[in-house]
Amino acid sequence: MPTVPATLASPALVLRACGVSRRYAGVQALDGVSVEIRAGEVLAVVGENGAGKSTLMKIIGGIVAPSAGHLEEIGADGAARVMRLRGAAEAARAGIALVHQEVNLAEDLDLTGVVLLGGEIHKMGWLDRAAMDARARVALLRVGLEMDPRTVCGSLPIAARQLVEIARALATNARVLVLDEPTSSLSSHETDRLLRILGELRRDGVAVVFVSHRLDEVMRIADRVIVLRDGKLRGELHRGAWSRAEIERLMVGREVPARQPLVQVADAPVRLELREVVTRHRRQRPVSLSVRRGEIVALAGLVGAGRTELLAAIAGCSLHDGTVMLDGAAVPAGCPARVRHGIAMLPEDRARDGLLYEESAGRNISLAWIGVRSYFGLVRRRAEAAMVDEAIARTQLRPAQAQRLVRTLSGGNQQKAILGRLLGISPKVLLLDEPTRGVDVGARAEIHEAIRGAAAGGAAVLVASSEMEEVLLLAHRIVVLHDGAIVGELSASAATEEAILRLATGGARGAAEAA
Amino acid sequence: MRKQWGLLAVFFGVALVASVFGSNFLSGYNLENLTNRTALFSILALGAGIVIAVGGIDLSIGSVVCLCGIATPWLLVEHGWPAWQVVPVVLGMAAAIGLMHGLLITKLRLQPFLVTLCGLLLYRGLARWVTGDQSQGFAGEFDGLRSLALGRIPVPFIEGYRIPATVIPLAVLAVGTSLVLTRTVWGRWLLATGSNESAARISGVPTQRLTIAAYVACSLLAGLGGMLFIFDIGSAQPSDFGNFYELYAIAAAVLGGCSLRGGRASVGGIVLGTATLQVLRNAIILLGLSSQLEFAVIGAVLLLGMTADELLLRWRERRAERRAPSG
Amino acid sequence: MIHAILASLVLAAAPAATLHAASPADRAALLAAQKARVTEMAKAPKASPHLAFVSNGVADFWTIAKAGALAAGRDLKCQVTVEFPGAGLSDQKRMLEDLVTRGIDGVSVSPIDPKNQREVLDLIAERSLLITNDSDAPEAPRLAYIGMDNYLAGRKCGELARAGLPGGGEVAIFIGRLEQDNAKRRWQGFVDGLLGRSVDATRRDDHTKPFTEAGYTILGTWTDSFDRAKAKANVEDVMTRNPGLDLVTGLFEYNSVLALEVFKQAGKAGTIKIAGFDEGAEVIEGIREGSVLGTVVQDPYGYGYQSIVLLHALTQGKLEALPASGEIAIPARTITKENVDAFWSDLKAKLAAGKAVK
Repeated sequence: MPTVPATLASPALVLRACGVSRRYAGVQALDGVSVEIRAGEVLAVVGENGAGKSTLMKIIGGIVAPSAGHLEEIGADGAARVMRLRGAAEAARAGIALVHQEVNLAEDLDLTGVVLLGGEIHKMGWLDRAAMDARARVALLRVGLEMDPRTVCGSLPIAARQLVEIARALATNARVLVLDEPTSSLSSHETDRLLRILGELRRDGVAVVFVSHRLDEVMRIADRVIVLRDGKLRGELHRGAWSRAEIERLMVGREVPARQPLVQVADAPVRLELREVVTRHRRQRPVSLSVRRGEIVALAGLVGAGRTELLAAIAGCSLHDGTVMLDGAAVPAGCPARVRHGIAMLPEDRARDGLLYEESAGRNISLAWIGVRSYFGLVRRRAEAAMVDEAIARTQLRPAQAQRLVRTLSGGNQQKAILGRLLGISPKVLLLDEPTRGVDVGARAEIHEAIRGAAAGGAAVLVASSEMEEVLLLAHRIVVLHDGAIVGELSASAATEEAILRLATGGARGAAEAA
Repeated sequence: MRKQWGLLAVFFGVALVASVFGSNFLSGYNLENLTNRTALFSILALGAGIVIAVGGIDLSIGSVVCLCGIATPWLLVEHGWPAWQVVPVVLGMAAAIGLMHGLLITKLRLQPFLVTLCGLLLYRGLARWVTGDQSQGFAGEFDGLRSLALGRIPVPFIEGYRIPATVIPLAVLAVGTSLVLTRTVWGRWLLATGSNESAARISGVPTQRLTIAAYVACSLLAGLGGMLFIFDIGSAQPSDFGNFYELYAIAAAVLGGCSLRGGRASVGGIVLGTATLQVLRNAIILLGLSSQLEFAVIGAVLLLGMTADELLLRWRERRAERRAPSG
Repeated sequence: MIHAILASLVLAAAPAATLHAASPADRAALLAAQKARVTEMAKAPKASPHLAFVSNGVADFWTIAKAGALAAGRDLKCQVTVEFPGAGLSDQKRMLEDLVTRGIDGVSVSPIDPKNQREVLDLIAERSLLITNDSDAPEAPRLAYIGMDNYLAGRKCGELARAGLPGGGEVAIFIGRLEQDNAKRRWQGFVDGLLGRSVDATRRDDHTKPFTEAGYTILGTWTDSFDRAKAKANVEDVMTRNPGLDLVTGLFEYNSVLALEVFKQAGKAGTIKIAGFDEGAEVIEGIREGSVLGTVVQDPYGYGYQSIVLLHALTQGKLEALPASGEIAIPARTITKENVDAFWSDLKAKLAAGKAVK
C-alpha cells in the first residue's frame, strides 16, 4: 500500500493522543506529542533510548498521567471523548492493554493466574478454576502457546514469558495492544513467531502499537512508523514511503558509525582458557574454549543453549567442574576472587543482577573499582571521582553526571554505567551477556566502541548475543552453542546469519568448519 | 536523606511542645537524662541499622541485651570473676551469637527473620535458666565499672549539665560506623550488598562475609548495650530485662532513614530517631499525660510525622513538575 | 507484638486443651469436696505427700519463701516442688495445670489475678487441695490463706511515710504494675495510711489522677511493666517535672532501689525521702545511712514454711489444722534504722538456704 491519505481508506481511528507531555524529576521525557491509533493497523514507535518511547507507551497504557495534553477515545459514531486513565486497570476497562518492556510476571503463579491476573473469574469470591483455565488456554493458543495453563510461570524461558504477557493483554479483550520492546529478549526465530502473531491480531482488527530498536522487523511488520527524539515527534512515515536510512537519520540526528576493521589477534597469547568446564546447564556437557588477548569471541545460540550458564561459571557466580585458566594459571572459585583476578561480567538482567537501583551513577560505576584499588580499606575519593569521570567518558554515558540517580537513566545509559564499572578495573577477561539488549542504535554503537577499546587494551572478550547483526559486527570468531555444548566455530570472515542459525538450531553439525 | 528532615521536624516539634507546656524540659538534669537514654538506646539502634542496611533484620537484640546484661553481674558477683575477664568474655559471647546468626543466614540460607526470632527465644531462655530466673545485680559494688554508665562529665562554663559517660562509647561507635560506611570499601560494600546482593556479588563484593560481619556487629553492639544498661540500672530480672528493645532499635533505625529493603543507612538519622523516641516518652511524663497513653501517643505522633513528610514530598514534586518550563 | 503472638501460641498449646475446663463450679461444693477428701485421707495418710508452692513471679522474695517451703519439707519429710512463673498469668496457669496433671497432693499458690483464674483454681480444688499465700483469692474455693493483707502492709508503708513527712507535702508513687490484686490493695493501703484515713480495704481511689488531701498531694502513680530502664526513667522524669517533690515510695522492691539510685546520682539522697517496700540490698544500706526512712517487709520464709506445714497436716487428714477464719496471718514488719541489722543478718541466712537448692 503506497502513501495512504488519512481519510476514508484508512482503518478506523480508535484512540488519539493530543499533545501529551510528561516531566520526570526535572527531565522533559515527552514533549507535546500527538499521535493517532487505528484499528487493524500496526504502528511502530522508534527512537533512541531516552527519546520518550516508553513514556508515551505508559501514558497510552494508563500507568502514567500526562502532565500536559490528554488522550481521546473515538467512539463508534466517530465522536471523540477525553479519557483520564488512572492506572492499568482503568486502561484495561477502556480496552487498552500494555505489555511491559521488562517481563515482570509473578514467577510463582501458574499461567492461568498470570493471564487472568486482575480478571479472575469467581463465584461469590470463590475462584472458578475450570472456567479460568479454559479462558487462559484460549488466550495462550492465540499467541501460539500450546501449554498446560497450570504450568508455573517462573519455569518458562524468557521468550515464552513474553508471549504469556501478550496473552494476558488479549484476555482482557483489548482493542489497543501496546507493546514496549517485545522482541528485545527474543532470538530471531522467536521474533518471527511474535511478528506473525502481531500480523494475525491486526487482521482481527486490533490496534497494535509497538516499540522496537530493530529496524528490520519494524520495516517488515509496521504499517506506519513514528520517530521520537528527545521527547519530541520527529517524523511519521508510511509503509512504502520510507527508507531505512531516512528512519535512522530521524532517530539519531547524526550519522551512525560504520563497522570498524578488526585488529588482528591470530598470534596473540592465549588469555582465557576453559578446560572441560561443566556448568549448571541441565545437559552438564563439558566445554573447552580459549580466547586470546585482544580477541572478541561471540557466543551464539538459541535461548537455553547454555550461553548464560557458561558466562556465569567463568565469572565464578555459579559452581562448575573443570578449570578456568587465566594467562596459564588456574583461577580460584567465587565471584570476589575472579573479579580480583580481573574477570568481570556484565549480567544478562541488568535490573536484577547489575544495578544498585537507588544509587547514583557514580556509585554504580565505582562498585568493582573500590575493592580492587582501595588503600588499606579506605576509598580514595578523589581517585574514585577521576575513575568515574573516565568511565563515563569511555562509555559516552549521557548525561555525563556522576551524581545522577541511575534509575533516572535510560536503559542504554544504565548499561553503559555497568560497562563502565567493569572497564574501571582494567579487566583481563570481559564477559558480556546480551550487552545491547533494549539499547538503541546510537548507544549500541557506543557500547561496541567501548568493548573494542577494552579488547584493544588486551582483554579477552566473550560476548553472548541473540542479535546476529551484533555477533557479525563485533566478533573475531563466533562460537555456536547448542544444548549446552559447543557445536561449531566460525571465523568472522566465513560467518553468515544462515550458517550460524543452522548450527544454533542443531542442524548440519558436521558441516561446521573448525577454526 | 529526605526522611531526616521530617524526623528533625518531629523531634523539634515534640521538644517545643514539651518545653512550653511541660515543666523543666530544658533543665540541665532532664537533658542529662535524655542524653543518657538516647546514648544507651542508640547503641542498640546502630546495630539494628547496620543489619537493616545489609538487607537483614535482627529480632534478637532485646534478648542479647538480656543475656549479656545479666551475665555481667552474674559472673562478677555470683562467680567472682575479675572485671578484665568478664568484659571480654561477655562481648565475645555476643560476637559469637552474631557469628552464628550470620553463618546460618548466609551459608544455610535461612531466613533472617526466623533465625533471629529463634534467637529471641533462645537467649532469653538461656539467661533465665543459667541464673535460675533470679534477678542479678551489683549489690552496691563495682561502682568503678558502673561509672561507665553512671558517670557524668562536667562541661566547663556550663552549670547544671554534665555529659553522661555513655555518650563516650556512643560517640566513638557512631563516628566509627559513619566513617566505615562512607569512607571505607567495607561500608560501600555493605550498602551495595543491601541494595542489590546479586549485583554486588557479581561486582566482586564478598557479600556473605559482609552479611556475617553485619550480624556480628549488631549482636556485639547489643551485648555492649546490655552491659551499659545494667551498669545504669544496677540490677535486672532475666524474664523481662530488654523486652521489646529490638522494636525500639528497629523503629529508631527505620525512622532515621534506614530502608527495610536494605542499602540505606544514616548514623545521624539513627541517633536522631532514637532521640525522638526518648524525647517523646519523656514528654509524656513531663506533660502529665497518663502513662497508659504512652504507646498510643508515640504511635500517633510518629505516624502523623511520617504521613506529613510523605505528603510534603509529593506536594513538592508536583510543584516542581508544574513550575519547570517545558523544553 | 511478636511476644504477644508467641504467648498466644504457647497458650494454645498449653495442656488446657487436654484437661477438661472446669465450669465455674459452686464454691461451697468444691470446699466441701476438699474437706471430704481430707477426712478420707485420715484413713490412709500418705507417708510422703507431694506438695507444691507456686509464686506469682521471680524475685529474691520468692527465693526466701522457697527456703521456707523446702525447710518445712525437710522437717516433715515430704516432697516439695517450688515453681516461679516468669512470664505472668499464662505461665502460672500452665504451671498449675502441669502440677495437677502430675497428681500433686496439695498446692499453695500466690494467684496473679484470682478473678480471672477461677477455672484453674477450681481445677486444683477439684483434683487436689488448694490454699493461697501472699495474695488471697477469697472468692475461690481455697481452704485457707497464708500471708499478710497487702492493704494492711501498704498502710504500714503509708504510716511510715506519714511519720517521715508529718507536715504534709508532695508524694509520688512508683509501682511495677497495678493490674494485679495485691498491687491494687497495697497501693490503696499506702494512700490510706499516708492520709491517716480509717481502715477500709474496700475503698478505691482513682490512681490516674493527682489529688490533695489532709496536706498531702499525691502527684500520681507511675508504672513500668517491670522494665527497669523505664522504671528509672520514670523517677528521673517525675523529679524533673516536680522540683518540690518531698517523698516517693516504691511499692515493688526494685522501685525503691532505683529511686534511691536516681536521688544519689542527682545529689538528692536524703532530701527527697523514700518509704520503701521489700528488702532490696541498696534500700537496706540506705536505711543504715539514713537516706531511706524505712521499709515494710513481709515474711516470705513464713509463707513458704507455713504453707507446707498446713498442706502436710491436711494430707494427713487433720481437718482441725484449718483456721476458723480461713486465714493464717503472718504480719508485715516495718524495718527502720533501729532494727535493720538484726533483720538483715537473719534474712541473709534464709536467702542462702533458698539459693543452695537449684
